[in-house]
Amino acid sequence: MQIEFNKVLPKPLAEIDHSTESLWNSKVIFISGKRILLNASSGKGKTTFVHTLMGLRSDFIGDILVDDKNSKSFNIDKWVELRKSIISVVYQDLQLFPQLTVEENFKLKAELTGSFNSEVAFEKLDYLRLKDKWNQKCGVLSMGQQQRVAIVRALIQPFQWLVMDEPFSHLDNHNADLCMQLIQNRCDELKAGFILTTLDAKDNLSFDYEVKL
Amino acid sequence: MIKNLLFKYQEKRQLVIALIGALLGITFLISSVHYLDKINQYGEDSEILGKNTLILQKKVTSASTMGLTKTDFTEKEISKMKLETFIEDVKPVISNNFRVWFETNDPYVPTFKSDVFIQAVSKEFLDVKSDKWHWKEGEKFVPMIMPRDFLVMLNTFMNASGIPQVSDDLAMKLKFRLRISDGQKEEWVDTKIIGFTNEIASILVPENFMEYATKKFAQGDPGKITQIMVAGKEGEFGKLETYMNERGLESKNSQVIVSRLKSIVGTLFAVILVISIVAVFASGLVLIQYMQLVLSHNKYEVRTLLRLGMHPTAITKTFFRYFLIVFIIVLAAGFSFFILLKYFVDEIFQSGGIYMNEHISFLAITSIFLTFVIFALASYRTAKKEVFSLFNK
Repeated sequence: MQIEFNKVLPKPLAEIDHSTESLWNSKVIFISGKRILLNASSGKGKTTFVHTLMGLRSDFIGDILVDDKNSKSFNIDKWVELRKSIISVVYQDLQLFPQLTVEENFKLKAELTGSFNSEVAFEKLDYLRLKDKWNQKCGVLSMGQQQRVAIVRALIQPFQWLVMDEPFSHLDNHNADLCMQLIQNRCDELKAGFILTTLDAKDNLSFDYEVKL
Repeated sequence: MIKNLLFKYQEKRQLVIALIGALLGITFLISSVHYLDKINQYGEDSEILGKNTLILQKKVTSASTMGLTKTDFTEKEISKMKLETFIEDVKPVISNNFRVWFETNDPYVPTFKSDVFIQAVSKEFLDVKSDKWHWKEGEKFVPMIMPRDFLVMLNTFMNASGIPQVSDDLAMKLKFRLRISDGQKEEWVDTKIIGFTNEIASILVPENFMEYATKKFAQGDPGKITQIMVAGKEGEFGKLETYMNERGLESKNSQVIVSRLKSIVGTLFAVILVISIVAVFASGLVLIQYMQLVLSHNKYEVRTLLRLGMHPTAITKTFFRYFLIVFIIVLAAGFSFFILLKYFVDEIFQSGGIYMNEHISFLAITSIFLTFVIFALASYRTAKKEVFSLFNK
């Protein structure tokens, strides 16, 4: 599934000068199955990009085309379908349910997609060295642990794109590497692409091309 | 899982307050609708006169006995009464102006005969089924409505004759006949009892028959109008009663008492009904407000579920179902309280000599259903509005 940003400019970012390389106010295509790094400093609109793409805000000019269809024409059912099984997201604020356990957070997500496999989820959590947190409430986990839980939750659902908003901001390099490996494997498995926003390009990140904000 | 997420960690105190309010409101609503309906129905089975209808006559005084005042009604007086705002309609009661005998005509019953007095009133004032209440020349039977006191007298005669007494149902199956005469010629007509009344002291026959008999057997001048039928407007019986007192009119005492009782108790329950509706409405609002509060407390959860791909309609239905179940429990509890209350209230009525049909009023059941539908619609609309507003947030 191809995503195209065509002269998109969110209103809150209209007064900022954007370079000619910037995604904003120009035409950028996210090619299906590619691994893309979205690199920008603070305040350039990384989260705005994720929210705009996921239909969480509509205060922008220009068009977002998903498989050549303008997102402005999408109805609720289409957005639900996109969020449920086409674009999986790791939000910057993680969007976990702190009162539920790690397992329950996975189950809840899986109830929506009908794809929960307890063993697979546990395996991924174990890979990220968090298997002992399986029955703990997310609210008591550290930010780094919560980030890893949110990544696993995003990976256990079917998707064509994985969008991650600064997913490693609370992780050390070793844990970020483990996460990256898990993400690469899952994307290979699903022949899916990802868009990863970050403050600075890290050496350990592997991607096909970079888009600037 | 989703139910746990949305409802497990809620503050329950406000819900309990809303539930108690709704429970009381529902109980009083069902009770007041039930008793309002029962009071309106009270005595209908034994009444053949329409609703709020009285037979009036002028009080007989020493002056009227001496011929100083009249006890009959003039056309002018009747027309004037019709102009009163609390009076629906006024019609004269027509009495026979010829001789009438009533007698048994059944091989299973010994012969009983008596001079009787027959009357006819306009059909609009009677609460009898029209397929039974009609007559035209050539028809086999004349239907009649018998004063219950007459049946008591008939049974006294049966008893004295050593034969079993007759019930209402049996009396309606026996054959009787009327003999009408002007002193020279006479005619026999078969007749059938179609009902009994406590309200009128004479035998009632259809207007057509009275016209036919009057035309054929009437003696001298047409009879004077000594009684009139008056239909009062709903809920304005008090005005009619004052009017009657001011003009020296009277009605059969029991009619007045029942009408007065129905008017007073009916008004009382109508007031309770209004209070109950307000209470149900207010408690419904509190419940809806509680739903908004729950939605507001769960704003993060709902928004996250939407971001994860849950359909807003599915979340709306989760809230809707939860509150619907809560409301069904309140309705069931309210209904149970009503049954309990009904037991005591019926006892009180019965100790006062008022026996009402014990079945639960259909209107009360309808009021429960209506309340349920209104609450269901309001809660679904509220949940939908709140959830959908978070979809693009």
